[in-house]
Amino acid sequence: MEYDENGVSIVPSEFKKEIFEEARKDFRYEEYVRGCLNCGVCTGGCPPHRFFDFSPRIVLQKMKSKDPELIWTMMDEYIWACFQCFTCAMICPFLNSPGGIIAVLREIAVRRGFESAKKVLKPYSRVLLKLTAYGNQLSPDMIQPDFFPDWGPTIGYASTDLAVKRKAIPMPTLQVTNLAWDVAPEAMKELYEIFDEAGVFKIIESVDPSLYEIIQDIVDDVRSS
Amino acid sequence: MSENILVVGGGPAGLNAAVMLSELGVNVALVERDSFLGGNPKKFKYKFLFPDMQPADNVIGELIKKAEAGGGIKVYYSSEISDFKENGKKFDVTIKSADGSEKKTFDSVIVATGFEHFDPARDAKYSYQLFDDVIDIKDLERMMGENNFVRPSNGKPPKKVAFILCVGSRDRHVGNQYCSRVCCTVSVKQAIEMREHFPDCEAYIFYMDIRTYGFFEDLYWQAMEEHDVQIVKGRIAEITSGPDNTVICKGEDTLLRGPFEIPFDMVVLASGMEGGPQSPEISSKLGIELDEHGFLKPENITLSPFKSNKPGIFLAGACTGPKAISDSITEGAAAAMNAYTYAVKNR
Ligand SMILES: Cc1cc2nc3c(=O)[nH]c(=O)nc-3n(C[C@H](O)[C@H](O)[C@H](O)COP(=O)(O)OP(=O)(O)OC[C@H]3O[C@@H](n4cnc5c(N)ncnc54)[C@H](O)[C@@H]3O)c2cc1C
Ligand code: SF4
Ligand code: SF4
Ligand code: SF4
Repeated sequence: MEYDENGVSIVPSEFKKEIFEEARKDFRYEEYVRGCLNCGVCTGGCPPHRFFDFSPRIVLQKMKSKDPELIWTMMDEYIWACFQCFTCAMICPFLNSPGGIIAVLREIAVRRGFESAKKVLKPYSRVLLKLTAYGNQLSPDMIQPDFFPDWGPTIGYASTDLAVKRKAIPMPTLQVTNLAWDVAPEAMKELYEIFDEAGVFKIIESVDPSLYEIIQDIVDDVRSS
Repeated sequence: MSENILVVGGGPAGLNAAVMLSELGVNVALVERDSFLGGNPKKFKYKFLFPDMQPADNVIGELIKKAEAGGGIKVYYSSEISDFKENGKKFDVTIKSADGSEKKTFDSVIVATGFEHFDPARDAKYSYQLFDDVIDIKDLERMMGENNFVRPSNGKPPKKVAFILCVGSRDRHVGNQYCSRVCCTVSVKQAIEMREHFPDCEAYIFYMDIRTYGFFEDLYWQAMEEHDVQIVKGRIAEITSGPDNTVICKGEDTLLRGPFEIPFDMVVLASGMEGGPQSPEISSKLGIELDEHGFLKPENITLSPFKSNKPGIFLAGACTGPKAISDSITEGAAAAMNAYTYAVKNR
C-alpha cells in the first residue's frame, strides 16, 4: 500500500467500497449498527477517548453514513485506538455496539494484512505463538521484569528460580515453565484443526510470515508425533 | 333520572371529566386510590406550571375545589375498583374503600389513571440513591414546592446544578423507547425558576435534543437569553463522586468540548413518564387494551384518542401516553362528552 505525506494510505475508491461492502456483509453488522441518536453516551464512557482523538460515536456515525471514503479514514489507525472493553455497547441507548463494529473492521484489516494490523500485532507475536501453537497465552518464563514493570517490586523475585517454584504446585500439568500448563498432544492436534478450519493460520501468514513459519514447524512436529 | 358515570383516577384529567359531567347533571363516582385528589401534580407538590409559570394551585386547586364541592360528584378516597362486570351496555362495579365495599351500576366509565415517574435507580449509570445530591425532577418539584431548595447531603444551597435530560426515556436499555414529552420543558422551567430565585447558582442542561415543542420553545430561548442557563449537547455516560463533596458528570460534549468531567453540587435527572403498574392492572380488570409502551391503548390514536377498544369505556390523560396538563384536561373534557353521549344513548 502507498501512503501520502500524512501517512494516509492511497487507494482507489473501488477498493474502499470493497472494504465497506465486506463490513456490511458481516453477519454481525445489523446487530451492531442500528440507529444512532448522536448522543455521545458511548464516547463519554469510552476509556481511550480521554487519551486519543478517538470516539465510538464517530465510528458509528461513519458506519451509518455508508460512505466508503469516511469509513476508510478509520482503517489505518483509528480502529486500533479502541480497547475492546465494550463499555459503549453496555450503555448505548440504541443498543449499538461501536466496539463490535470496530472488531469487524479490525478483522478485515487483519485478514487483508494491512500495514496497520501488522504494526499493531507485532508486539503480540510471543503471545500469538504460545496461543496458536500450544493453546496457552502467558507462560511463567514470559514474566520478566522488563516486560511487566507494572507488577511492582516483587517482579524480580517472581521471575527467578521458576522451575523450583513451579515444582511446588501440586498439579503435575502446572509444573512447567515454558507454558502455563502442559498440553496433551491430542488436545494440540484438535486445536490446530480448529485454527485451520477457522482460517487463523492463514491470517497469521498474512500479517506475520516469519511467525507463521515458526508456528508451522511446531504444528508439523506435533502432527507427525 | 340522571346518568351514573364512573371516573377512575382523580388527577387533572379525571378531575376535569368529573367536573364537566356534574355540570351536565350526571351522578359521578370519582374513585381515587390516594387519600387526596390532584394526581401527580398534587402528590409531588408542583409549584409553578409550564408554559406560563402560573401557580399549580390555580389549576389543580381550582379543579379539586369544584370536585369536592359536592354537587353531583361523590369522591371515593383511598379506593379502588375491586370487581368489574359488563351488564348489557352498562357496567356493574364494586368500589372498595376503607369504609367497605359498595356495588353500583354505571352507564359508562372514564379511565384516567395517569402515569408513574420513571424510577431513576433503575438505570445504574446515574447513581440515583447512591449519592444524596443526585435527585430527579419530581424531587426538585417537591423541594421547590416546600421552599426547601438545598443539597440533600449537607443542607446548604447549591452553587452549580446540572439537569440531565432523557433519563428513563429514549433508551432501549431501560425498555422505554418513547420520548416523555414534558421533561425537556419541565427541566428548562426548573432551571429558570432556580436562576430566578437563586441567581448565584449556575445551571447546566445536558441534552441530546431539546424538545420544548410548540410554544414551550419560548421557555428554552428565555433560559438562554434571560437566565444564562448553559445548554450542552451530550448525554451523560456516568455520574461519579468527586472531591469536596461534589458529583461529577462525565460525558461527551458532541459540539464543543469533546470529553468532559464536570463537578456539580447537585444533579437533577429528568426522569420520564411510564404507564406504571396501574395501567396493566386496569387493563386486565376492565378488559381494555395495553400498548407496547405500557400505557393504555386508544381504539384509534388519531381519530378517537379518548376511546378504549371497549364500547362505554373512555380514556383521558397520561394513562394513554406522556402529555402535559392542558392536554390531559382537554382529554378529560372529550372523554366526558363521549361518556355522556354513550350513557344517554343507552338509557
Ligand atoms: C416532574 C413533572 C412536572 C410536570 N410539570 C408540568 C407542568 O408544569 N405543566 C404541565 O402542563 N404538565 C406538567 N407535567 C405533566 C403532568 O404531570 C401530567 O400531564 C398530568 O399529571 C397528567 O394528568 P392525569 O390526570 O392524566 O394523571 P395523574 O396526574 O397521574 O393522575 C392520575 C390519578 O389516578 C390515580 N390512580 C391511578 N391508578 C388508579 C386506580 N387503579 N384506581 C384509582 N385511582 C388511580 C392516581 O393516584 C392519580 O391521582 C409534569 C410532569 C412531570 C413528570
Ligand atoms: S469497546 Fe472500544 S469504543 Fe467501545 S468503549 Fe471500549 S474502547 Fe471505547
Ligand atoms: S451511545 Fe449509541 S446512540 Fe449514542 S452516540 Fe453512541 S452509538 Fe450513537
Ligand atoms: S421531553 Fe426531552 S427529556 Fe423528555 S424524553 Fe423527550 S427529549 Fe428527553
